[in-house]
This record gives sequence, C-alpha cells and structure tokens, in this order.
Amino acid sequence: MRAAAVRVRRALAMRSYDGLFRAAVWVLGVLLLVTLAGPFVGVGGQPDAIVGPRLMPPGAGWPLGTDNLGRSLLPRLLQGIGTTLLLSCLAVACTALISTALGVIAGYRGGRTAEVILRIGDVLYSFPAIVLAVLVAAVLGPGRTAALAAIVLVTVPLMTRMVGTAARAVARREFVTAARISGVRAPTIMLRHILPNVAGTVAVQGTYALSVGILVEGGLSFLGYGVQLPDASLGLLIQEGGLYMVGAPWLIVAPGVVLVAAIMAINLVGDSLRDRFEPRETRSLV
Amino acid sequence: MRRSAIIVGCSVALSATLTSCSAPAATDATDTGKASKSGYLTASDASFKGTGPLTVQLDYDSVEAGGLDPQTAATARSWSIESLVYEPLVTVDPKFGIEPLLASSWKQPDATTYVFTLRKGVTFSNGRALTTADVVGSLQRLLKSKAAYAAQLGPVKSVTATGPTEVTVQLAKAYTPFLAALANTPAAILPMKEIDDGSLDLTKEMLGTGPFVVKNHKQDQYWNFTRNTAYRDTKKVRVDDLKIEIVPQEAARLAALRNGSAAVVNFNNIDSMDQLTGTRNAKVVSQANSDFYYLIQNSKNPDSPLADEKVRFALNSALNRTEIASVALGGQAQPTGVTPSVLPGACDPAKLPAATVKTPDAAALKKAGTLRLAVYTSEPAVGQIAQVIQQQLAKAGVTVKIQKYDDTTYGAKVFGAKPDFDLAVGWFAGYVDASMVSRWWNPVLAGFSGTFLNDDKTLDALIDKAAGEPDGATRTKTLADLCARVDTAAQMLPLVTRPSVIGYRTDQVSPTLRTAEGYGNFLRDITSYTLPAGK
Repeated sequence: MRAAAVRVRRALAMRSYDGLFRAAVWVLGVLLLVTLAGPFVGVGGQPDAIVGPRLMPPGAGWPLGTDNLGRSLLPRLLQGIGTTLLLSCLAVACTALISTALGVIAGYRGGRTAEVILRIGDVLYSFPAIVLAVLVAAVLGPGRTAALAAIVLVTVPLMTRMVGTAARAVARREFVTAARISGVRAPTIMLRHILPNVAGTVAVQGTYALSVGILVEGGLSFLGYGVQLPDASLGLLIQEGGLYMVGAPWLIVAPGVVLVAAIMAINLVGDSLRDRFEPRETRSLV
Repeated sequence: MRRSAIIVGCSVALSATLTSCSAPAATDATDTGKASKSGYLTASDASFKGTGPLTVQLDYDSVEAGGLDPQTAATARSWSIESLVYEPLVTVDPKFGIEPLLASSWKQPDATTYVFTLRKGVTFSNGRALTTADVVGSLQRLLKSKAAYAAQLGPVKSVTATGPTEVTVQLAKAYTPFLAALANTPAAILPMKEIDDGSLDLTKEMLGTGPFVVKNHKQDQYWNFTRNTAYRDTKKVRVDDLKIEIVPQEAARLAALRNGSAAVVNFNNIDSMDQLTGTRNAKVVSQANSDFYYLIQNSKNPDSPLADEKVRFALNSALNRTEIASVALGGQAQPTGVTPSVLPGACDPAKLPAATVKTPDAAALKKAGTLRLAVYTSEPAVGQIAQVIQQQLAKAGVTVKIQKYDDTTYGAKVFGAKPDFDLAVGWFAGYVDASMVSRWWNPVLAGFSGTFLNDDKTLDALIDKAAGEPDGATRTKTLADLCARVDTAAQMLPLVTRPSVIGYRTDQVSPTLRTAEGYGNFLRDITSYTLPAGK
C-alpha cells in the first residue's frame, strides 16, 4: 500500500512530466481560473444582457462579438466553459465513485457478482453514447440533471470494466491472500488493500471520462436536451454558432477552439498519467 | 405550435409596404428575376425558355395522422406539398383577394348563398373529367370529417349540384371568410368516384387535378413529382420533374444553396439572409406571412397563478412586442393582435389594452412567481423569442424558466390530454381573412385548445360576429373589439408575425414569389417558374 502511495505521489510530481503534459495542465488551469474568476471580476458583463446590435464582430464593447440577440459572447463563453467543465467534472466524480465501488467489488468477489456487474455494463456499453444520453434526457426531461445523469450512464460501463480488471489482478496478489487468511474482513481488504492499488487506473480513466463527458454534454445541448436557455454551455454555443458559420464565424470559432483545447488538454493529461502508472503501454496520443 | 396554415387578402398599399420591409438581403449581380411588380417579391423571367428538373429543399416533411388525405392535413407544410397535386374551387391572389381556380366563376345572390360554375376541361390525373359530384362529395366529406379545418368553412347548411356545371352552397348564416376558407388545400376537390368505389386510398395515394403527380415519396427524406400530363395547362409548366428533399439541418440547406445542389430552399432562421450575402448566383428573400407567434398562458390549471385573469393581463402588459420583433427576429417581423397585422382590417397592436398600460400591475405580477416556458428545438426563432420574453418578465420581477423540448415532446406537453406547462411559445397560420385564425380562440370550435384554454363566451360571441359581418367599418370595429378581448383575457397572446425566408439559385430557376403569403405556400406559383435554356 505504501508503494502505491509513493507511485501516486511520483505521478503527481509536475517536474517529471514532459512539455505536453505541462502545457495541457496550464491550459486546464487557465480555463479553470477564467471560469472561476470571470463572474466575480465581471469580465465582459452579464451573460444574458443585451449589450449591442445583433451579430456584431468583435469590438470595444464586446471583445468576442455579439450573438443573435445582441449579447456579448465573452461572458457567455466564460459561463459556457464553467457550465461544461463543472457539469462534466461533477458527472465524472459520480462516475468514479460508482465505477470504483462496482469495479472493486467485481474484481474482488469475482464469480457471479462480477458477471452480473460486468454484463450490465456491457449492455449499457453496447448503446452508442449519444443515443443512450438522449434516452436518459428524454426520460428525465431536458436540463442539467439529465445531462449529468446521461454523462454518468455513458461513462460508467467503461470505467467499471477497467477498474474491475485492475482490481481482479490486485485481488490475486499475495498480500491480499495473506490479509484474507489472516481474517481481515472483505470491506477492509477492498478499502485498504485493493482501492489504493487501482487508484491509478481510476485517475487515468477519470480523465478520459471527463473528455467523453464534455462531448456528451455538448451533444446533448446541441440537441436541446442539455443546458436550458438562456444559460450557455460550450455545446449550446456551438449549436447556436453553427447557424452563423459564414456571416458571424466568431460565434462558433471561440467556443469551438475552447472545446478542442479542453478535450486535447484532458486527453494529454490522461495519457501522461497512464504512461506514469502503466509505463509498459505505449502512449496513444503522441 | 400548430403548423396549420395561413392567409388571404392584403391591400395594394400594404403589399408595397411589405415589399420594402422584406427587401432581399442577399443579392447577386447576375440575377435575372424581375423585381417586384405589385404584390410580388420577384416574378419569373419570361426570357428563360428551358424545361427540366428542379430540386427544392425543405426543413421538414408533411406528417399527418390522416396520411396523404388533404382534408385532414393540419399543417402548412402538408398544404404546400399537397397543393402540387390537389386544387380547390378558388385560390388567393397576390393581394389576398379571391380568384377562380377549379370554379371559373361564382355568384352570391344573397349573403348566405354561393353559386359556383365549374371550369371546363378540367380532368384528374387519371384522365377522368371533373364533375359536380366530385365537388359536392368533396365538400360534404370535409364537413362530415373530424378535420379541424372543417370549422373554418363556417355554418354550411347544404352543398348541392344545381346544374351540369353548377354547385350551390347554402350557409345557415352569413360567413364572410367562406371563400377564403375554400381557397386552401383541405378544401380541395377530390376524385369522389374513385374514393367511393374503393379504387383509391386517399391516405396512401394522391390523385388530383393539379400540375403534378407523385412518382414516389419516402417519409422525411424526399418527394419526387412529375408533370401531370392531364393538367389543363401542362404545356406551360416548365418544371417537368420536381424533387423535394427533406433536409432538417439549416446549415446543410445553406450549403446546398451555395453549391447549387438545390435550386430553391426554405430557411427558418431569419439570419440566413445575411449568411448568404455575396454568394454567387444565390438570392434570399423574406416573404411576409399572416402567420404569427403566440404565447399561451395555461389558464386551465386551477392551482396556477395563471388561472387569474389579472395575473395574465399583468404579464401581457409587461411584454414589449416591438422589442421581440426587433431583437428576436431581426426587425423582419411586426407586432400583431389576433387579426394578423398584414391583413386588411386588422386591429392596431399598439392600441391593445395591454400595450397602453404604462405600469403593469405589480401586485398581480408578484403573484405570478416562477413560471415554466416551453419551447421546441426545431425553430431557432422560438427559443430567441422565449429569451426576450424571459428578460422582459425578469424586469417586471417574474422569473421564467425556459424548457426546451424536441417537437414531439413539446406537442405532448402543450397539446396533450394533460398539459404540463405554464407558458408556451408556438405559431399559428394566420390565413387570409382577418377573422379566420381567431376561431382557434374558441376551444369548442378548435378542438385542440380546450385543455389549456377556458371557453370565454364574450370572446366566442365576438368571433362569431366578426365572421358574420361583411367587410366595412362595422366589421373593422368588431375586429378591434375581438383583439381587445383576446388581449385582456390573455389566455393565448399573439406576439409578432412570422416571416418566411426563401433562397433560390438564379442560375437554375427564375421563380415567382409573392410579397406576402397566407397559407404558408411559397411554392404556390411553381407553375409560373421559368428555367434557363440549359435546363
């Protein structure tokens, strides 16, 4: 267990990572900072306030231009980043909690318990992500709750399978067998011996789930099932901007660039973490 | 969100005004369409001598519970597409007057009698000649049907053949919009012999007297029409194959117009006009409509603050329709009362009771609390209108939460047996007589609005009175009273008109497009379209 903790500490040491990882962390950090600071500092004004003529290109009163209702794009973009990141992070936290619990139980118990958990995951996994998300949103009704539930449902199956596989490998190791022979109770073994050893897998899968979550949220908002008007999310801004791609390209370029940058950054972070936790695997992105 | 249809009747002066309001935003130097003669945005160029195929792209297809039966068609899209095959006795001229179509003429010996003389030489596409039995049978079939549109025909007492080419319609009482109601696709004349002998299933096949026949149709994907060789003016029709493609994505239709894969395209985003600025060989115009957006305030829920007329009126007073038109619809729309403002005799929306209130009733607004506003996703303008309303009501201290649904869910939430909404934005076809659409404010006549609309006997009486009076100063006064009552009761509030945006390729077609349309049929003059010789 101590070795696992050391591994996590080493994994988190910034200086041991390459430039790509550090750049990705910087991008995420900046996004997080502007999202958190934006509303307090009042950057660009109120997101839903009409500040000028419709569809104006970037100018003094509206640094990123105005949208189809004459609202400044900058505060809406900041709101959109915040909504998307917050929603996705919250959803991934839920996913991590559920998947880790199910994965560890499946990996430790094995047998029928694992079969039931993993087969249910397989059924969910067999649906295309966006179809499953639309189904959830249709049942729960459009809005943030639906988007959150949809992201969780879409990301849980893969993470459960990955954590389950990792937990199964750990459960076969000698120190777990020794703990079991010594009479340590199953919950304690799972919590104290297995969980720390699958933490790396959870961290790596969490970053992938985050990027999937952002894409699902974008897709749902694009279809009208996600964040509701007048709130903005990156998906919603891209949906609105798509109609003005030629006449007012700033409406799609700014949220599009941010979405691409956020997903790239998250995937690079995840890739680097995976390299650190699983050095025998080749890097997938670069 | 009834996509039911629209118009008839507009004055010359009004047409001229609308023409200037809706001047094309995107133009091309090589455009050969002749600029607007009175009542037209563009008229087809007679120097184009070609014939050939034409591809049209639309955002959605006709979807009706009654299949392809035109009498049960309840949406403007169905009326447009089916009008390519079916024709009624009369039609609408560019200034919203009524002109002959399958009837060559008509007489009105008294206020309740109409005598139609049928046009000679009219045949169905199977070659059988049109008879008075087809006319009588079609109108009786419509009146007996449960179609919502039957209510628009008014108090018809009898329809009888009174000569070899003469049909007489007797009304129980005077009904001014009768001819206007006859001028729409649901009142089309059907091949009754084939329907009665069972050789034609109207829900699956189309057989009419119109310029086109259907070759094939795949729901929500395409329609293929070919020229009806039995059509009386078939030699004048330049489009010999008409393909209508259903392309829901606005951006895809924009791209199709840019690259020339479609010759005529409809848009539901007013800003599409700007998106095509400078595009070679593409032109986009805005056609005024009598259609208008409305706001429903669900008054039938006894637990809702909206059950109180004072609250509804206060909310109405807090709305600024001029701002809605300019912000949400880029200034292409205009405020309207229940009589569509583009039609003759319409009331002045600036003089409505709520519009003249300087300070909305604060106590009533306080009671409103938080309200849910339902919108649907397929039309960007609906969401934009909702956001402007949200801001206007926020200024009045009312919180509005917008709930965006796909069209089907919206339909179930708003028009279902158990409505689940406080406020909802949608649109009505405005038709062609100023009193026609007001019939939907009578839930007994409308049928679809009884679940969220309380029956208002005062309003019902005004609706009947407006329909029964002949055009003139008295009727104009009645229409103003009708508008005021709708505005005061504030159960279903007309907001602003809903313009159409139409794009076309000037190198592929020279269309005839009217300045204003009443039944949402921008393909109305397709038999006049001309094509370049290369086609």
